Amino acid sequence: MNTTIHPFDIEKLADMRAPVDFNQRNRLMPVEKNFKAQIAHITPLTDREKLFHIRILDAAERQRFTFLPGQFVMLEVPGFGEIPVSIAGDPSIRGYIELCIRKAGTVTGVLHSAQPGARVGIRGPFGTHFPMDQMVGSDVLLIAGGLGLAPLRAPIFHVTQNRPDYRNVHILYGTADPGQLLFDFEYKQWERIYGCDLRIIVERPDDGWTGQVGLITKLFDAIDVDPDDTYAIVCGPPVMFKFICNRLSDMGVPMHRIYVSLERRMHCGMGKCCRCNIGSTYTCIGGPVFDYWTVMNLKESI
Amino acid sequence: MLFKTVSKDEFEKLVGIMLESNEVVAPTRVESDVHGDPIHEYLPVESFDEIDLNYETTAHSAKTYFLPYRENLSTYTFEAGDWGQEIGYRAMPRILLGLHACDINGLLKLDKVLARDVFPSPYYVSRRQNTFVVGIDHEPCDGGFCHAVGADTVTHGFDLFLTDLGETYLVEIKSSRGYSMLGQVKTQDVSDADTQAFKAVRHRITEQFTTDLDIQDLPNLLDMEFESEVWTKWGEKCLSCGSCAMSCPTCYCYGVEERASMDWKTGSKSKRLYACTIVDFAEVSGGRNFRPDRKTRLKYRFYHQHRGFVESYDEPKCVGCNRCGRACLVGIHPAEVIGDLQREERL
Amino acid sequence: MQYLGIQPKRPKIAVFDFTGCEGCELQLANKEETLVDFLAAVEVVAFREVMTDAGDDYEIALIEGAISRADEEALLRQIRDRAGVVVALGTCACYGGVNRLKNTFDLGEANREVYGDKPKETSEVRAVGDVVEVDLAIPGCPVNKAEVERIVQHVVLDVAFSFPAYPVCVECKQRFNICLVDRGQLCLGPIVQAGCDAPCPTGGRGCWGCRGPARDANVPEYLSALKEKGFGEDEVRERLGFFGAFEGAVG
Repeated sequence: MNTTIHPFDIEKLADMRAPVDFNQRNRLMPVEKNFKAQIAHITPLTDREKLFHIRILDAAERQRFTFLPGQFVMLEVPGFGEIPVSIAGDPSIRGYIELCIRKAGTVTGVLHSAQPGARVGIRGPFGTHFPMDQMVGSDVLLIAGGLGLAPLRAPIFHVTQNRPDYRNVHILYGTADPGQLLFDFEYKQWERIYGCDLRIIVERPDDGWTGQVGLITKLFDAIDVDPDDTYAIVCGPPVMFKFICNRLSDMGVPMHRIYVSLERRMHCGMGKCCRCNIGSTYTCIGGPVFDYWTVMNLKESI
Repeated sequence: MLFKTVSKDEFEKLVGIMLESNEVVAPTRVESDVHGDPIHEYLPVESFDEIDLNYETTAHSAKTYFLPYRENLSTYTFEAGDWGQEIGYRAMPRILLGLHACDINGLLKLDKVLARDVFPSPYYVSRRQNTFVVGIDHEPCDGGFCHAVGADTVTHGFDLFLTDLGETYLVEIKSSRGYSMLGQVKTQDVSDADTQAFKAVRHRITEQFTTDLDIQDLPNLLDMEFESEVWTKWGEKCLSCGSCAMSCPTCYCYGVEERASMDWKTGSKSKRLYACTIVDFAEVSGGRNFRPDRKTRLKYRFYHQHRGFVESYDEPKCVGCNRCGRACLVGIHPAEVIGDLQREERL
Repeated sequence: MQYLGIQPKRPKIAVFDFTGCEGCELQLANKEETLVDFLAAVEVVAFREVMTDAGDDYEIALIEGAISRADEEALLRQIRDRAGVVVALGTCACYGGVNRLKNTFDLGEANREVYGDKPKETSEVRAVGDVVEVDLAIPGCPVNKAEVERIVQHVVLDVAFSFPAYPVCVECKQRFNICLVDRGQLCLGPIVQAGCDAPCPTGGRGCWGCRGPARDANVPEYLSALKEKGFGEDEVRERLGFFGAFEGAVG
């Protein structure tokens, strides 16, 4: 007589044995399996931020890893923790991920001590992306404050590589002081992108600063915005993007054409841990990229 | 859908058979409270005598058998400049005996998030599939409001479901493995008298629900009362101790932590169930906290239960078991908070 | 740490005991399965519990016990000047601990009660942080060795350590315990910082609060809830005052 419940061996399922691909969001898979990756190179950016150039080690996994501008990964330092980081690199290169990381907590602290060659884990990509396809044929405003330039860098790569698809392109960037400017070695290149207008402003200049001084909203005074055919991507601290989005909205740019990227605490990236939940919306699944209309309707989002 | 009846003696025999080769978890009386009333918990049992199927409720829900409070997610070994990751998703079969309808509804809600939505959790799916669930009808519990949230009856999500007809149980068989399991003891076909008796039991139970709570308009109400003083009133009481979420059958949020051994040879990534009322729940690195005060955290908890979840799955996350209300040492009862909001609306 | 290319520091550590039972020091020396690795991670230059030699060259000073005499205060100041990092180890060092109960009596009377006609020099009991600046406070009576080990790992890698933000209730519920308050026992679980894994409630004794207030602890609400449940004011005051960790929090 059979008195036992037949064990259900989940690891035998074909879905569980097939390679992990976080772009297949509905598939059952071993979700904690990370892609082993190597920190190939580290570029110091400021006294607080470093750019980590990370390469997935396995050739097949590298080939499967593709992301869209605005998406993020969960970066794991085994034994220390896992953190969400928006991808700052070039979306056209498979399995190669650039992450701009500020030293703040345990994981970022360990990362800032890590040396090239260090082995970390990557899960992802996760989340929504900036709708670069929808923006084709329109003016594009790429706006960042402070660390917000990190998530904006992937759209900048995309626009550069597909420049004829877009009309006028403006890159507006502001920080508190010149010492906090990220990716300063790339400004010359961005300036020379055909038909691209790069403007940088700081709030508190130092002795060597010859550029503009003031709040980022000041940069709008000098540019023409066509409210009927403009898309904007705004990345930065909530106070800053609130000001800018309202300014754009006042200029007549519809809220659904303004995109922002929200920062939230995350422990999974997969809509499970709830830490990034805002009412009914998981920032990791429904975001981090939202249009401003949606953000306005999310309670406590800013 | 198949129904049978089984005598209580035969049912005891069935539990004996279950115990022979499976882990059986069932309601057990563990303590008495300060008034001398019994406190029950779902615990592994070794004999039928340890089981008390006439329990009112349990202090903890049964979710820990599907979503352990602490769970290892992966293990690392560090060696010579490299590391290896090991993950196990397998679970052992287990029989969970005597779940009430609200708790099975709780499992159905967890299924929606953890088994059917994006990125299904293999840890959860593995445990859920390996758990044989036997439900049982019961008299309404004190303070529960399951009928108000539509969780007083359950149509699926279990293997067998018992209704006490006095000398016998009416058994609803929901799965093939349930059919095989029940087939190991003597059962009878359901007679007209059994059907009548079943209807009478259901009628008696339904009649006893007294909590007057209407949640029809709650999602909109929560939106409109977002700035209500009701949140200040209850929020200031909140201890942010997490006991509500720990005892809740459907709260699934968690935090992940990693550790390395003192010799740096191994490491582990593990999760711990968390609570949205805990102070650092929505705090990001650098110290910014999106819900810094008790009021907004408590409000968020209700908001997720009764609006956010409704938006995603067309039903509230709450099953009305009131375990959170019972666990709360400062008396934050969900039905009272919701009642307060509704009164506020009418003013 | 080879996989990160990090060479952990091996800081020189000195352990000092002041007024206390030395139980926290004993915790460090205990747990034999990890003691060797623990001692490999740091260089201990002074530790009366495990060695006889004592060195004066240290970067990190672990202070056990409270400060209750003038000579202790002087020695502590000297240690502060020498050490880069001063760690208050255990409840006595962090809050004054049980010793602090002395402060509720007249000092002379207390002296006579304990030492009879051979009085000793004594002063009001203070926490280490009341005398010198403390860089890190590790509460617990005794400290939790596993937690101390994790803190040491953070120290040698020079990364911040954070204690749990939740109170003991979370760990207690997660151990499937029945709430002691429901069973009529006094327990400080909802307002005390976790990290101990709730050994006292699990063993059937209510929390006495050796780890001090949890972050954002709602002490007033909990005290009024305890009153409503019939716990006497004296009993509650005694419990809160036991380790000296709730001074200022008690009305």
